[in-house]
Amino acid sequence: MIDREILLEKMKTSPYKPMKAKIIKAQMLTDKEKFFRIELEGKINLSHQPGQFVMVSIFGYEEAPISISSSPTDKGYFDLTVRNVGVFTDKLHQLKEGDTVGIRGPFGKGFPIDNMFGYDLVIVAGGLGIVPLRSLIRYIMANRNDFGNVQMLLGCKTPKELLFKEETKEWMRRAEIKFNCTVDRANPDWKGNVGLITTLIPGIDINPSRTYAVVVGPPIMYKFVIVKLLEKNIPDHQIIVSLERRMRCGLGKCGHCQIEGMYVCQSGPVFNYAQLGNFKGECHEKAI
Amino acid sequence: MKYAVINKEDLNKWLEHLKKKARLYAPKEKENLFVFRPVKDVSKICLEYIPTILPPKKYYFPQKEKLLKFQVNPFKTAKAIEEFEEFILFGVHTCDIAGIQCMDVIFRESPEDPNYLNRKEKMTIIGIECLKYCDEHANCTSMATHVPRGGYDLMMVDIDKVFIIHINSEKGEKLVTGLSYIKEAKDEDMFRLDRAREEKKKIFKEELAAPLPKVYDAFDKSFGSQVWKDVGKKCVACGNCTAVCPTCYCFDTADDMELSLNDGIRYRIWNSCQMDDFAKVAGGEDFRKGRDSRQRHRYYRKFKYPVDKFNRYFCVGCGRCTRTCMADISLKETVNSLIAGQSA
Amino acid sequence: MKKQSKPKVAFFDFTDCEGCQLQFANIGSTLLDLTELVDIVNFREIMSEAGEDYDIAIVEGSISTDNDVKRIQKIREKAKVLVAFGSCATIGGVNGIKNRTSLELAKKRVYGDKADLINTIKAMPLHEVVKVDYKILNCPPYIPEIIAVLKCILMGKPYVLPNYALCVECKMNENVCRYEKDQECMGPVTRAGCNSWCVNNGNRCYGCRGLVDNPASEGAKDILLKYGLKLEDIMNSFTLYNDCQGEKFDQYLKK
Repeated sequence: MIDREILLEKMKTSPYKPMKAKIIKAQMLTDKEKFFRIELEGKINLSHQPGQFVMVSIFGYEEAPISISSSPTDKGYFDLTVRNVGVFTDKLHQLKEGDTVGIRGPFGKGFPIDNMFGYDLVIVAGGLGIVPLRSLIRYIMANRNDFGNVQMLLGCKTPKELLFKEETKEWMRRAEIKFNCTVDRANPDWKGNVGLITTLIPGIDINPSRTYAVVVGPPIMYKFVIVKLLEKNIPDHQIIVSLERRMRCGLGKCGHCQIEGMYVCQSGPVFNYAQLGNFKGECHEKAI
Repeated sequence: MKYAVINKEDLNKWLEHLKKKARLYAPKEKENLFVFRPVKDVSKICLEYIPTILPPKKYYFPQKEKLLKFQVNPFKTAKAIEEFEEFILFGVHTCDIAGIQCMDVIFRESPEDPNYLNRKEKMTIIGIECLKYCDEHANCTSMATHVPRGGYDLMMVDIDKVFIIHINSEKGEKLVTGLSYIKEAKDEDMFRLDRAREEKKKIFKEELAAPLPKVYDAFDKSFGSQVWKDVGKKCVACGNCTAVCPTCYCFDTADDMELSLNDGIRYRIWNSCQMDDFAKVAGGEDFRKGRDSRQRHRYYRKFKYPVDKFNRYFCVGCGRCTRTCMADISLKETVNSLIAGQSA
Repeated sequence: MKKQSKPKVAFFDFTDCEGCQLQFANIGSTLLDLTELVDIVNFREIMSEAGEDYDIAIVEGSISTDNDVKRIQKIREKAKVLVAFGSCATIGGVNGIKNRTSLELAKKRVYGDKADLINTIKAMPLHEVVKVDYKILNCPPYIPEIIAVLKCILMGKPYVLPNYALCVECKMNENVCRYEKDQECMGPVTRAGCNSWCVNNGNRCYGCRGLVDNPASEGAKDILLKYGLKLEDIMNSFTLYNDCQGEKFDQYLKK
């Protein structure tokens, strides 16, 4: 808890001032995604909740919101996985082990872990959605007995875009996570399912009232996946999503991440589907 | 002392006194419009003015503000502003003061914004109450911002040959005490003030077609209204309406490097939800596409969202957005169309 | 940056007035600081593009002859970084006016009976012929933006052009709107980035920075009509600098 207090104190002096942090591991995962392990100065723990994000600073290149892909149970460091999509992330990709970045945060509301204790979980990851979900999965691994059955559905465009391939095997083995994967387009070596992730949902065996579904993926995916989950009778407040928006401050001020009256950086990025139900039309992820 | 009186002929004397106390900003004329400017010559101050082009927010939430000084290698951060300057805003309308109260709500909400709060702490507000309308674009009576409701240190009311000054803070009191030409108000002054306020009631009438709760209801039901399509068709996304709004506070950040390419400053710069890329993420998805939905967002950020969150309307009725719009999008007309759409 | 690693900068020009290079010379004392960071090896074409070594080519002017095409391709081959400098090079600028009529007519107007001796093609900004790495907009370029782009080049970072209307900057400068004074102004559709340079100095915006990605051309037209302009005048305002961006407004302004 002491680390959390240090962080809060730092935030109080100026929430715009990034902390110094060192990249202690950097590794390309695919053509587009790079993995970074980060250590805060003084090795203080980020003390985040799974599902939260940090603002990463590279001086001269501004900042970007990046979701944390390690669990708070991983001590002394935290992980980020970043796709190269713009000026900032391109620069971040150029950084190597030993380089310095600035970190602000953690920000936002993470997955409602406390509410999820004792429940069965269906984790649905589309494409990069696996990145924030890895923080949840690693947390579950460290606290496996606090959760019921856990199954995971993973979808991406092609097999070569699959992230954390080796790790998923470990999740299956060590954490007894049932794992099912599908790709939109297969290559000859692919032995798994082919088709959209929605095709995997009807087949899952769940007790809906005792199940939390956690869904993270590109905006287009939510609508279709959520419809299928609702068809499975999972209550809307037990369907958890994490939304991506443009963010500049992380403090609920700059306005960019707003969905109607809600600041995603403070009230989200994690929401339950009942909350999304209140949006009148600005939430692209809402099922029709 | 709660109320003080100053003769108009002594006003400039007092202003010279204020100028010595702190940096003084007041309205003055600029090409038939008005702007807040640092006061050099007190005789240039204009107290009868329609709302300035930009509200005084530029002094407590500057257009481009330093957030952080940094050094790339070795990594170093430092305060960008060593000391904030003491300043007085003179001649602020009650609508603009209501705007400051809105900004307080935003920047005081946890996590607090130190830059804003630091500036705010050094700010003294001397208001002036309007006794007649600035022009037909204002809707201050509907928003109940046409009369002083706190948020200032001193409030002046122009009564014949004097200004009656309401003292609302210790900071304010210090600026009027110990001066031979500012005296405590007498019963007779207070009587004249009451009479002026009675007269004012005859002039200021609610400008919107329905009282605020009805306006709120109209917004609650108008998300899909045709009104937004009409507004969006006229809008050119110039961002004038948000820049001039006393309660718009969206910003972007930018790093500015020195030529050394090692030292720099991180700024925050006013940004507008009316811009094309405002809600676009790096991956390309635009979460608020179309000028119609962006205009709707602006209105909802005045009449709906902050009411839900803070029980406070973020329109202060100053009329600036209407005045500045070259496409003639009128706030009063837009809101009234929504109300009419509901009753139709 | 160490002295030996200073990148070499060369200037070239095509169809233009050379005002952009003049503006570079106008940078003033900062120019001296800049020479700490870069070596300027070619200025006003005193050296031939083939003979001299350079890393950064700063090119002004539009492409408007077959020879221009060959020349810019050569420059592109040699340069590590190619910078389009000024309105003519980045958006076609005033040269684009020629594209509204047939080439034959344009030649005749300018060269009279010698028209047949002249080779000319439609006027184009550089990026229509070769890959452009950086754009410095404006006619003439705005000095703080020249410096901002140079810093980006040296950092190896793209320079992201603002994609919002000039009005945004103009309002931050608290100028009295030109429309308030019954003047026409291209501000609402013009890409910001010059800090409303012209309006700050009492002029209006002519659109020399090009149009924003998605200009509200129809809305802008309605405003100008309301202010008493005829459709033809409005078209002229749009095409003065932005003829080459016709796809952004033709459909609304053509009779």
